[in-house]
Amino acid sequence: MIHCEQLTKSYPMGSGRKQVLKGLDLEIRPGEHIGFLGRNGAGKTTLIKLIGGVEMPTAGKIKRNMTVSWPLGFGGGFQGSLTGYDNARFIARIYGHAYREIRDFVEDFTELGAQLKMPVKTYSSGMRARLAFALSLAIEFDCYLIDEIIMVGDANFHQKCHYELFEKRGDRALVLASHSPDLIREFCDRALVLHQGYGTIYSDVNEALQVYAAL
Amino acid sequence: MNSLARGWRVQRRVIGALMIRELVTRFGRENIGFLWIMVEPLLFAGLVGIIWRFMKGPEEHGISIVAFIASGYIPLTFFRNAVQRSVRIFTANGSLMYHRQIKVVDFVFVRLLIEMIGGMMAFVFIGAVLIALNEFPVPADIGALIAGWFIYALFTLSLCLILAPLSEVSETIEKFMPVTTYVMIPFSGAFTMMAWLTPAAQKFMYYSPFVHGMELMRYGIFGARVNAQWDIGVTLGASMVCSLIGLAMCRSVRRKLVIE
Repeated sequence: MIHCEQLTKSYPMGSGRKQVLKGLDLEIRPGEHIGFLGRNGAGKTTLIKLIGGVEMPTAGKIKRNMTVSWPLGFGGGFQGSLTGYDNARFIARIYGHAYREIRDFVEDFTELGAQLKMPVKTYSSGMRARLAFALSLAIEFDCYLIDEIIMVGDANFHQKCHYELFEKRGDRALVLASHSPDLIREFCDRALVLHQGYGTIYSDVNEALQVYAAL
Repeated sequence: MNSLARGWRVQRRVIGALMIRELVTRFGRENIGFLWIMVEPLLFAGLVGIIWRFMKGPEEHGISIVAFIASGYIPLTFFRNAVQRSVRIFTANGSLMYHRQIKVVDFVFVRLLIEMIGGMMAFVFIGAVLIALNEFPVPADIGALIAGWFIYALFTLSLCLILAPLSEVSETIEKFMPVTTYVMIPFSGAFTMMAWLTPAAQKFMYYSPFVHGMELMRYGIFGARVNAQWDIGVTLGASMVCSLIGLAMCRSVRRKLVIE
């Protein structure tokens, strides 16, 4: 269970502050799949960063009673100057897993081959997505935070994610921020529409998608 | 108690992983690899020692000048590197904040630890070489030498705990850092002993937390041949105050940190 209570987040902007979230309540239950919808800049990534503990809320509280992955997105989580293998070693060390298991899974899941010996900064966004997913799947979390990045993969990657994430780990909670109505409709039980700093939760995903389309 | 033990295990794991990562990114795996960390203090201490040797003769106040300069320069380069490395350390490591078990204080601690290990290795190396050349005494009290080094390092750590968060919120701090570490050299105790100063200067220097660590190290090396005077209470007290302020600042800056 993850409880978010009255989350606000603002960033300094010029002489004032930009209010991104203005008091948001959210509950993520074990095993449920929540979609985050909102226009660019509505605060989807910010909210995911707060839930993942990357940034701290300006006010409000987050209680995590299950293990939560780091946000899987375009930036962060990796050291660009290190190779894929070195990043895997680092992740294995800080999460206390055997490197050998992580490495085997990463090699198998990413199919990146010798590219894993290259610095991560030389990777395309699709390759990064593969590595990020592989590492977080190898660690095993109760809740996965996915920010857009699932979109960049090719068909083969989608198929693998589908199997590993939605079939093998279907009992895990999932937060999925996306602009793709198909993805949200297919995989989410509920959806949160973010608009002007406030969030509304819909247990009917189609209704959420209609509201989002009308924004 | 159980959760405390678990926390400690996680902390140790994280520190270990961060150290390896830092060493690999900074020195790579080519040629001598992480042995590079002791090269800079070694060169500084060695070359400056030789210059002074030719400028001022083999001895000053009855002790080997090369040994005196080397033993002063190694702690000093350690301090200056540690301070320099803590500038904007949180932003530089932002991508690691994606992993919740890593705390900002870990970054400061890890970099200090690496500089400290480098300094210690340089100390041992240069000491061994100079002892073989008969330019360095066999340490009179190795315990005092180590204690002095750790007290010096403790105060450096507590300063870094303040400077790291400060450099995140203020850009001016970063610009004043090099000149400040240069100006503080006379107050570091690196090139003089308390006993060589005038009573007025002694009174003043007594309040420099570096001096007591330095004097203790000098006593550890030269023993009774120098009239070392120290009061580690000053250094420990200053370290405690700075650490408390620093930790509070780290916490407050972490809350506002914007991560890409």
